[in-house]
Amino acid sequence: MLSYVAKSSGMSQYMKVTAQAVNAAKPTLAPSVVVAAGIPATHPSPGARLTGDTLRLNAPRNGNVLATTGVRNTAAVRYAHTDIRVPDFSDYRRDAVKEPTANNRESAPARLSFTYVITGGAMGIASAYSAKTLVTDLVMSMSASADVLALAKIEIKLGDIPEGKNVTLKWRGKPLFVRHRTPEEISIEQGVDVASLRDPQPDSDRVKRTEWLVVLGVCTHLGCVPIANAGDYGGYYCPCHGSHYDSSGRIRKGPAPLNLEVPEYEFPDDETLLVG
Amino acid sequence: MAGVLGRLPSRAIQVSSKGHFVSFPGAIRLQRTATPLNSNLVYQQFFSSNAAAALKNASTGKKMLLASLGAIGTGGLLLLVGLEKSVKAGELELHPPHFGWNHSGTFQTLDHTSIRRGYEVYKQVCAACHSMRFIAYRNLVGVSHTEEEAKAEAEEVQVTDGPDDQGNMFQRPGKLSDYFPSPYANEEAARAANNGAYPPDLSYIIAARHGGEDYVFALLTGYCDAPAGVVLREGQHFNPYFPGGAISMAQALYNEALEYEDGTPATASQLTKDICTFLKWASEPEHDTRKQMALKALMMFSLLTAITYYWKRHKWSVLKTRKIAFKPTSKKQA
Amino acid sequence: MSFVNSIYNNVFRRTSTFALACLVGAFGFERAFDVTATSMFESMNRGKMWKHICHKYEKEEE
Repeated sequence: MLSYVAKSSGMSQYMKVTAQAVNAAKPTLAPSVVVAAGIPATHPSPGARLTGDTLRLNAPRNGNVLATTGVRNTAAVRYAHTDIRVPDFSDYRRDAVKEPTANNRESAPARLSFTYVITGGAMGIASAYSAKTLVTDLVMSMSASADVLALAKIEIKLGDIPEGKNVTLKWRGKPLFVRHRTPEEISIEQGVDVASLRDPQPDSDRVKRTEWLVVLGVCTHLGCVPIANAGDYGGYYCPCHGSHYDSSGRIRKGPAPLNLEVPEYEFPDDETLLVG
Repeated sequence: MAGVLGRLPSRAIQVSSKGHFVSFPGAIRLQRTATPLNSNLVYQQFFSSNAAAALKNASTGKKMLLASLGAIGTGGLLLLVGLEKSVKAGELELHPPHFGWNHSGTFQTLDHTSIRRGYEVYKQVCAACHSMRFIAYRNLVGVSHTEEEAKAEAEEVQVTDGPDDQGNMFQRPGKLSDYFPSPYANEEAARAANNGAYPPDLSYIIAARHGGEDYVFALLTGYCDAPAGVVLREGQHFNPYFPGGAISMAQALYNEALEYEDGTPATASQLTKDICTFLKWASEPEHDTRKQMALKALMMFSLLTAITYYWKRHKWSVLKTRKIAFKPTSKKQA
Repeated sequence: MSFVNSIYNNVFRRTSTFALACLVGAFGFERAFDVTATSMFESMNRGKMWKHICHKYEKEEE
């Protein structure tokens, strides 16, 4: 680069820019440079620290400095290097290394840790939290809406169903049988030989309270709705293809392969049945 | 460092520490001007002198013509402006003032005691004519009523359900999942019962009217005698807040129109305030959650902003504090 | 200082441990942030929210 500068003596006309030095203490402006009048030349007070801000006060305000450039006149003004003041950058230093004699290796882990905690730690944690919230909200939006959930469970007052009677309710679009069994029915069903059944299941597996049978009213053969208190076994009878169920909802005779399905239900108290 | 600086060649660049352009004492900021000042001035002079000369040379008649044209033009323009701002009959309505709702603040929730009272007002007064088809009894749970209370409220109404085994519809007591009952079977029945006016569904009425709860409050409390010249048909009432002024709904809320369960004095304005709060909740059930989310989001974003500022300073400190020196690498100086 | 050094050497120097620390911190932060925000919100709206008035109605049931 230097050699290039050395060979460029023929270009001295254009290199005037470097040939005109100005003493900054007494600005003698080149004729080609016009500073708008009335700009107060402020200088930092003697005691002030030399920071970027205090240096900025010296800059002409309003930007009303005009200069014309061209081949024949000087393009720029430069200053003798001894006038250049280096700002005080100590605001950018950590306290641990402000002293010129401080050993930076000693405080390095602490300084690095601080930055890691603030940026990686706090930012990472905050981002993880936000991401988790976002994902949770998105996933939750796919779950069933409140009006669907409100219909997903039905409450049945047991007092409304007399003994020996079967009621049909609508639950999630399907018929639901709730049967208040008589003691005779209970004893018959409990006495059935499980091994003789097509879909072997003891009565105790199918009811939570012996007097209450809760089953879906959908025939396991082709999905008809069986008729209650009918058939050879006194339970349910499907009129479509003649499947007979007993009063535990088990298949005893006919084409159906499985027992009537028992939905999830519970008894919150003695008077209510909660299905769903 | 000082030694290096001392030996620097004539060119030295410094970078500011705060990102502003720094002029060291006496430095000059250079700026190129696109148009030379002189030519611009000349152009302006040429233009103005031309126009002035043309006017000077014109005859008296021409001057008169120009002056009258100008006067007519200005007058016509002013007339147009005046006509544009004329009073129109359609705008003869009062706009509601902003009332100081205690849920108006950025982080202020609805007053749930007021929602509960507002439900009483709806049930006992408004529900006679207005439906709320989109609000179910389960919506009241955890807002203004406990689950047991909401169930009791639901059981007070009879809901048509079915079909049963025989294919017939039947009536049963309401359940939590049931929506508020409508007073009329359909819109036609509602119109027939109300002189042809349809009492709007109140589920989203606050969101559906300009001015929201302010408008509804002003409307419900703003009934007055019709001024002279306003003709009302039979069954209509005058309300300055209602567009057009003639409203088919009679004033519904009077002092002591009902007795509150919690003993609050049931003045007309209290009733109106409570029903407005209730309807506000119905239109915006997410109101409280939304404001809580806003608080959280603002806290989170201010935290992130502070961290981002630190991170930026951290990353930029190297650039901001560098000193660039041009140092020729000749053998003599090295 | 040795505490900071050991933290730095054991947690921050490896990306794996650093990421793990962030994740673990996120759990604690989530809890603290939610509790703080909720309690601030509730103190701003004392007496207006359902949880502040529900005791009046729940007692009647018992």
